[in-house]
Amino acid sequence: MLSERRFGNLPWGIVLLVVTIALIGLAAVYSATYTSRGPSSLFTKQVVWISVGFVIMVLALIPDYHTVGRYAYVLYAISLVLLVLVMIMGKTGMGAQRWLALGPFAFQPSELAKLSVTLALARYFAEDPKRGGYELRDLAIPGAMVLLPLLLVLKQPDLGTAMMLLLTSSLIVVLAGIHLRSVLILLVVGLVIATLVFAVSPVRHKIWGSLRPYQQNRIKAFVDPGSDPLGSGYHANQSKIAVGSGQIMGKGYRKGTQSQMAFLPERHTDFIFAVIAEETGFFGSSLLLFLYLVLLLVGVDTAKNAKDRLGTLMAGGIVSMISLYVLINVGMSVGIVPVVGVPLPLVSYGGTSVIATFLALGILLNIQTRRFMLFY
Amino acid sequence: MFQQQDSPEAIQRRLPLLAAFIILVIVILFIRLWYLQVLKGEYYHEQAESNRIRPVMLRPPRGVIYDRSGRPLVENELVFDISLIPEDAPNLDATIEKLSAVVKVTPEAIRKALEDAADVRTRYDPVKIREEAPWDEVAVVEAHQEDLPGAIIEPEHLRRYPYGGLASHQFGYIGKVSQSQRKKEQTDLGMLIGQSGLEKIYDKLLRGVAGRRMIQVNAAGRKVKDLGIEEPRPGTDIYLTIDLDAQKAAEDGLGSMAGAVVAMDPNTGEILALTSHPTYDPNLFPRGISPKDWVRLMNDPSHPMYNRAIQSVYPPGSTFKIIVSLAGLESGVIKLDDKVPCKGFLMSGRHSFRCWKKGGHGSVSFHQALVESCDVYFYTMGDRIGWDRVAEYARKLGFGSLTGILLPDEKPGLIPTTEWKKKRTGEAWYPGDTYINSIGQGYIQVSPIQACQMISVVANGGRFYRPMLLKQTRNRETGDVEVFSPEQINSVTLDPKILWEVRSALAGVVNEPGGTAHKAATPLAIVAGKTGTAQVIAQKVAGRKLSEETQDHAWFVAFAPVENPKIAVAVVVEHGGHGGSAAAPIAKKVIEEYLKNVERKTIR
Repeated sequence: MLSERRFGNLPWGIVLLVVTIALIGLAAVYSATYTSRGPSSLFTKQVVWISVGFVIMVLALIPDYHTVGRYAYVLYAISLVLLVLVMIMGKTGMGAQRWLALGPFAFQPSELAKLSVTLALARYFAEDPKRGGYELRDLAIPGAMVLLPLLLVLKQPDLGTAMMLLLTSSLIVVLAGIHLRSVLILLVVGLVIATLVFAVSPVRHKIWGSLRPYQQNRIKAFVDPGSDPLGSGYHANQSKIAVGSGQIMGKGYRKGTQSQMAFLPERHTDFIFAVIAEETGFFGSSLLLFLYLVLLLVGVDTAKNAKDRLGTLMAGGIVSMISLYVLINVGMSVGIVPVVGVPLPLVSYGGTSVIATFLALGILLNIQTRRFMLFY
Repeated sequence: MFQQQDSPEAIQRRLPLLAAFIILVIVILFIRLWYLQVLKGEYYHEQAESNRIRPVMLRPPRGVIYDRSGRPLVENELVFDISLIPEDAPNLDATIEKLSAVVKVTPEAIRKALEDAADVRTRYDPVKIREEAPWDEVAVVEAHQEDLPGAIIEPEHLRRYPYGGLASHQFGYIGKVSQSQRKKEQTDLGMLIGQSGLEKIYDKLLRGVAGRRMIQVNAAGRKVKDLGIEEPRPGTDIYLTIDLDAQKAAEDGLGSMAGAVVAMDPNTGEILALTSHPTYDPNLFPRGISPKDWVRLMNDPSHPMYNRAIQSVYPPGSTFKIIVSLAGLESGVIKLDDKVPCKGFLMSGRHSFRCWKKGGHGSVSFHQALVESCDVYFYTMGDRIGWDRVAEYARKLGFGSLTGILLPDEKPGLIPTTEWKKKRTGEAWYPGDTYINSIGQGYIQVSPIQACQMISVVANGGRFYRPMLLKQTRNRETGDVEVFSPEQINSVTLDPKILWEVRSALAGVVNEPGGTAHKAATPLAIVAGKTGTAQVIAQKVAGRKLSEETQDHAWFVAFAPVENPKIAVAVVVEHGGHGGSAAAPIAKKVIEEYLKNVERKTIR
């Protein structure tokens, strides 16, 4: 139950931090989606998502996080089923099949998959500790657990989510403790595959050919941004101009020429950081980065103080996931990561992503509040 | 318990690694932000200022719609519009003044166009101020770009329906995508999409993909250069099953009369002609229909937007005698040689039911009764067969249910039964109901396309095909052709001997003395058909005021050639009077125009 004592343990500072980031996001979405006829309905929807997400975060405090751990595989299975469903009957948007229609709402199972894979891996490694680190053969099962949703997501095709799944699970494996030899073998295998892909042209053509034209273009544009400033490099270039032109103090709220003039595509979702950077300048954008830094470090602290392996791994996994979100999304906006569709947690427009992030933070808080308790 | 193994310490020793990773990430991003915003801030600020690269949408040409032999029915015409992007004009008034000096538009008209567009446009959307500008104006605006900041030339592929109202109920019309459609249709604002008819049904094929043209404008709003063009991709061309000649014959035949014509190939279900009059001109729509025109179309008492061929239902009149004939012969109630005396009326209790021929037909057998459309014979036979059995055959021949044509809002019509009447009115089914329904008056309601389907089934021996409008598609870029096949959706078993008797009587209707449709006869083939006159006000009892002649709807259903049917037709002329005089000549024209060149009427 949600006892008084639990609330007493609740780190109000973290809650305040989360709410602050979410409010910054709301303000940015309002600015990015503002139309000549006034605020967009997207903004209203985002207010609803944030509110629902907040309630879900509070609800996530009620059960013991061990209960969450117990249901981790169930959640994982549900995600897989949803990913299969999306393949069969999903809605297509932007050339990829990512959404499931739920009445008037569109649900994006790949956002849920990222969290559920993190939790499932945390439980797996919590229950199967290995002294001296995991050997390669110990990683067969968790590897399959990651590969299954990864392939489904690639099929959509959603490179961003696939990349997120791979990197997040790698971080979790490192946390759980991998044998040094395994790391080396994995590196060598990875290098060999990469060499094969790049050096052997039939293989390269096969892989390159399986990508959608827009994906090929994004990769080309990342390698050589000048190659086609009007085509695919356009997004990346416009985003950089938006960020840079914000200078130190920014152009002022709702005064960003890049964002308001619609040079920025996807400016309420994937490129929301560029909107913030343009309108609030280095001052605002680095403040937002700082807020993320504090949140993430508090998350590491939660992992450190957790009572058991499950708590540590769940907290560590969630923190890894969110930090990668920030790295990839912001990195893309400032032109150091290829353009892939990854939302900025708590800030980007999008119901599934907002709710999944709040749920993750709720679990983190849950672990935090129970750090002093005895479980057995 | 696993106290030892469950200890988190081993993992927690590695947590500083995660913290280091996070700090590293944030520091890298922070440095990058410093670089972009502080070190190179000035540079990017300038870039943003001079960043007046304007993507201007290039709407794609929609797919062309051809008839079955490849003659264009709906096309696109390349025109040039002069538009204004007010955000690009540093001094809007100056631009407007200069523009009105070289283009034949007053400054007031330009201001009004900007004002009207203000509510619906997003920023940097060009506003059209001169549509289909003549060449000299286009040349002047292009040449004087420097003095006309904000003005641009927009090439447009204007949708044209060269035959005006011809087949407009099939084509439908196009219009700008609305805010609410935008998401569902996955397209950009400013695109034109099908809003009704085939333009809507096959919109995904016809639409094409928009391109864009990048123009760079300097700080003064002057177009510096074209940075590149991403060509729009044209939509897929479609070939309809309709035959332009037959369609034209149907349109001309109806002329200013209200009504509908449907013609199909009985061997495939391909629609050869389908028209509804009065019609409307789809050319009114692509530029956005004016409120005045829209109100006029909507309030027109003759409902020009209504597709009578599939949405209007009428009593089938004497064409229904085909159903009674089949029901009677198949069930063995009608014997070919049984004679029925017709004195010009039939008494039932106190009521008298008239035959259309005042003096009566004398003693008639089946063949003569159908050829001359003797009402008394069919009153008698309807009564002997029993109404519910007649109704069963009517349903077997497709009445009362949808034909399955893709066009929207098809109406199923009505085949009454004794039970239906009881439920509906609480009254019993009287013998008089059987009489008047047996000659296709009363409660029965049939749409023109159902009538065409029915006569087509009689012609082909019992096969129902889904009425087909799309014959093939051709992708203009790849040349890929997809051909669509007929789809048989149902069948009815009919004795070939009986069918032969019915067809020969229907041929008699057109070709024998005493037949009611001599006007459908053509030297090109032997036509078989049946006339009908649907009374608008039911004729119930002799002696009461009869419905006004001019108010009757004229029906004619036919197929030809009788020995090897290639075309089946149904015609309704509202308030046309007799089927033989008003509807049959139209069917004849349609049949002739189609049969004339039937051999070359498939696509290459």
